[in-house]
Amino acid sequence: MNLATTTVRAPAPAPAIALERLTKTYPGDVKALDEVSLTVRPGTFLAVMGPSGSGKSTLMHCAAGLDSPTSGSVRIDGHEIAGLNETRRTELRRERVGFVFQSYNLIPSLTIEDNITLPLRLAGRAPDREWIAALVERVGLVGHLSRRPAELSGGQQQRAALVRALAARPAVVFADEPTGALDLRSAHEVLELLRTLVDELGQTVVMVTHDPAAAARAHKALVMADGRVVEALDHPTAPQLAERLVALGAC
Amino acid sequence: MSEHFRTPSHLPLFPIALRMTARRITVLLAVVCAVLGGAALLTGTGVLGESGLRSHLPPGRLGGADIVVAADQEYHPDGDLPLALPERARVPSSLIDRLSDLPGVTAVVGDLGFPAGLIDAGGEVVPTADDPTAAGHGWSSTQLLARPHVTGRAPAGADEIAVPAATGLRIGDRVQAVAGGRPAVRYRVTAVVDAPGAGVYFADATAIRLASRDGARRYDLIGLRTAPKAGERVADALRDQVAGTGLTVRTGADIGEAVAPGVGTARSLLILLAGSLGGIVLLITGFVTAGALGVSIAGQRRDLALMRAVGATPRQIRRLAAAQSSVVAAVALAPGVAIGYLLAGRFHDMLADRGVLPPGLPLTVSPLPALATLLLLALTVQISARGAAWRTSRMPATEAVAESRSEPRKPSKGRTLTGFLLIAAACALSVTPLFTRTVIGAAATSIVGIVAAIGLALCGPALVRTAGAAAVRRLRPWTSAPTWLALANVQAYALRVAAVVSPLAMAVVFVLTYTFAQTTVLAATTQDTRAGTLAQYRLSAPALGGLPAGTRDAVLKLPGVRSAAPVGSTTVVWPYEMFGEADVESVPALIATPDAAGVLDPGVREGRLADLTGATVAVSSEVAGSRDAGLGRRIRLILGDGTRTEARVAAVYDRGLGFGSLIVSGELMSGHTTSGLTQSLLVRTDGTATAARVLTDLTAAHPGLALENTSGTGSGSKQDTPPEVWINLATIVVLLSYLLLSIANKLVAATVQRRTEIAALQLVGTTPRQIRAMMRREAAVIAAAALVSGMLLSALPLALLGQGFLGRPWPAGPAWLLPGVAATIVTTAFLTIELPTRQALRRAPADAIRAT
Repeated sequence: MNLATTTVRAPAPAPAIALERLTKTYPGDVKALDEVSLTVRPGTFLAVMGPSGSGKSTLMHCAAGLDSPTSGSVRIDGHEIAGLNETRRTELRRERVGFVFQSYNLIPSLTIEDNITLPLRLAGRAPDREWIAALVERVGLVGHLSRRPAELSGGQQQRAALVRALAARPAVVFADEPTGALDLRSAHEVLELLRTLVDELGQTVVMVTHDPAAAARAHKALVMADGRVVEALDHPTAPQLAERLVALGAC
Repeated sequence: MSEHFRTPSHLPLFPIALRMTARRITVLLAVVCAVLGGAALLTGTGVLGESGLRSHLPPGRLGGADIVVAADQEYHPDGDLPLALPERARVPSSLIDRLSDLPGVTAVVGDLGFPAGLIDAGGEVVPTADDPTAAGHGWSSTQLLARPHVTGRAPAGADEIAVPAATGLRIGDRVQAVAGGRPAVRYRVTAVVDAPGAGVYFADATAIRLASRDGARRYDLIGLRTAPKAGERVADALRDQVAGTGLTVRTGADIGEAVAPGVGTARSLLILLAGSLGGIVLLITGFVTAGALGVSIAGQRRDLALMRAVGATPRQIRRLAAAQSSVVAAVALAPGVAIGYLLAGRFHDMLADRGVLPPGLPLTVSPLPALATLLLLALTVQISARGAAWRTSRMPATEAVAESRSEPRKPSKGRTLTGFLLIAAACALSVTPLFTRTVIGAAATSIVGIVAAIGLALCGPALVRTAGAAAVRRLRPWTSAPTWLALANVQAYALRVAAVVSPLAMAVVFVLTYTFAQTTVLAATTQDTRAGTLAQYRLSAPALGGLPAGTRDAVLKLPGVRSAAPVGSTTVVWPYEMFGEADVESVPALIATPDAAGVLDPGVREGRLADLTGATVAVSSEVAGSRDAGLGRRIRLILGDGTRTEARVAAVYDRGLGFGSLIVSGELMSGHTTSGLTQSLLVRTDGTATAARVLTDLTAAHPGLALENTSGTGSGSKQDTPPEVWINLATIVVLLSYLLLSIANKLVAATVQRRTEIAALQLVGTTPRQIRAMMRREAAVIAAAALVSGMLLSALPLALLGQGFLGRPWPAGPAWLLPGVAATIVTTAFLTIELPTRQALRRAPADAIRAT
């Protein structure tokens, strides 16, 4: 099965993500994001780094439509989501955004197969069976579909979460510390998979991490501090990133 | 490759809802129990209500009639349910001739019913029919019996009689009969009649003489037999004939209605009963079901939050919760409904045993109550499931996931406010007994209690949180670890604790207010009747259908008798205006004569009982004020036989609880009762032993008379505990068991869901003994909170109830009730927390953590 041939994507007319003067303030006047502007082109693997509390998770949540910003504009695949209500945001999200979480967030009472197709089910969309079967084979979960999450290893669970994120062919996949809970080998496998997706399928991936080694697999890395982007690095290396983070007094 | 991946092209959401439930058996058991019990109670109530509306009495002694023409024994108010008229209204005898000419009619029988009792040679009463007030009939009425087995020949002379087979008398036997209140006469038995409902039969001419009152020849009813298949045609012709006369033409299953005029009363009772039970059953079912679903959905908050994260809309989350809950409820519905039908049957039997319902009145069993139950419960489940999932569904997805690991941070303000408002409203309502000293006023107390308990359920989390925080602040540093943990848990998991405390508190409130409302009214009623009954004795003749004429004169001649006055009870319909709205009520009324003043003291405040002559009534001060029926006013009444009349208010009295809201004059009622006889005689003596002895002697000399002491009974009713009190107490027991069962389930479910928490505590070094100690302390806090809040909520309504009814700020009732309730609550809380905790501790902590 050749993944590349099944997924010829029309060139996206708009950036996958476009943020403009994005601000998020929490009660008590805590500014988690301070007028962040950012554009992610389709087919980019972007890593967002920063010490705890730098605003990287908030950035991802707002950019992905999981949370609504206090002010500013968020466009996903050309669609403005700021100002939409919870339901409309959810609908847009499940059409165009895939998620991979640090804690996998698989639903324990459902089988892996049900977990993978859940977003499609919720959207009332028919699954592209060949596409999903190809993904399942690519991540090596064939034969595990009828198991429940607790019966799989962490790496397997995260790969299942990856298939779930890609099942609806989203414009962008967000990964929140996808390797944070994995051992070195599993972490390496998952990162390898993400990179392959970008290189072979032109999938846009935005990954939030504090692990310089993980971020080094990306095309581009942003370093955040105090709710702002303080540095952008093309083709970063792990030592380079580690140094920046240490300089920020974190890690 | 697609053999590994068999997902169909269409993916419905519903199966997911099911699969999410499949692994949560313990929690679902609570929901199943709640729905099962709710379905049973609702269906049972529904069956009672439907039977009240539609059940048919067996035709009894009219089983052989094809058509019966009788007076309509119901009053039909505009746009309301008909009210039963319990005194026989009669049919003019002139109608008979017109009816016999109708084509297809093979026999027309004018049936007379009059009081009759048999007395054997030994002076003992021989039981005859169910109702001695209409046991006597003319011989021609035997034509209306269904397939009678008659031996002997028809009574012909004035001294001949036919008796039912059940009496054991034989042809040729001599027997005395007291008929129509005349002195006992000796008869010879010429026939024995064996048929359902058979009474005592006299020669037709004799019967007319015995039954005639005021010389008018009127029948109780006219029975017809028709040629085969002519029944409906004849009935239609008859309906044309009697249109506008107030008579009804009954056929088939309807005929049973005509047997006795009081049957409608029993059915009205069923409707009333279903109505009053319905409200409380629905409230409690809703409360319990919503509570169980709340626990079940709270346990799935993480799953639901995760689904939000992968793209479920808020609406989908609520739909999912509702669908899943509906399926679980559906499982419990069918057996619950089945139990409900059985329950209604048992309840009916108990009511019949207590004489509240005629044993012949069957229950109507149709699918309607099941259908109504289905609709009500479906609605309850949908609303409570959506309500329980509301908060999780509406949160931004990230927040939902984060929050699902602990509890929602703050109980919502709207919820807390609604709770306080409900409690405030309940407090305001609880003053009702101060203003209306009636059974309805007391009923307000029970409802107030339930409303307050629901209010507590709503504002409970906020209260628990505040109280928990206060307790934790006051802890000293050297407090033991389990106590500290327990209090910290109570504070941190305020919602969970409140969810357990509030149903327990509700049980406390429910039992206290409901029971004490009943016993307080009972005590006040007894107090009223005791204080208001001057007579020491009641002389009656239930086996003869009424006191024979001349009894009063005989009693008055006895030495030591100061006063003797006839009293009876009837039911009248009273149309009145209240707050400008026309209303109509069926009122039980005491029949009394002017000389009642010598034996009764209903606490007359205006007018005099001695003025109860002609068309007059006395009314209780409660209704005198509210219905514009003060002294001298004229009120409209419909007497028990349907006669419309007007009466002047001759007296207003205060002891309305003991004597009812209405006393009608004997002269007004004369000729408008079924038997036409005096029901009983209240006798006041000088209190000497001689007086007692001569009265006893008189009773013994007249077979069929019965002498009672009034101290044990009221003057208006003959039973010591009114049926409604007994019914209400039975209801409390049933509902309380339902509440306790569901509370126990809920507590177990809540504890089972804490397995991870327990495991985590074990992993950080808490010993099983410390965990058990912690859980026990939590149980103690829960039981104490439930008891204290329950008692606080009941205190005000009960104090006001006592003040209103007994003139002291506490209610009357059994002293063991409070300790009994406390013991039950404490036991429930401890057992349902202790057992699942022990169970949880058996599992290795690492396993428990992994399994989530």
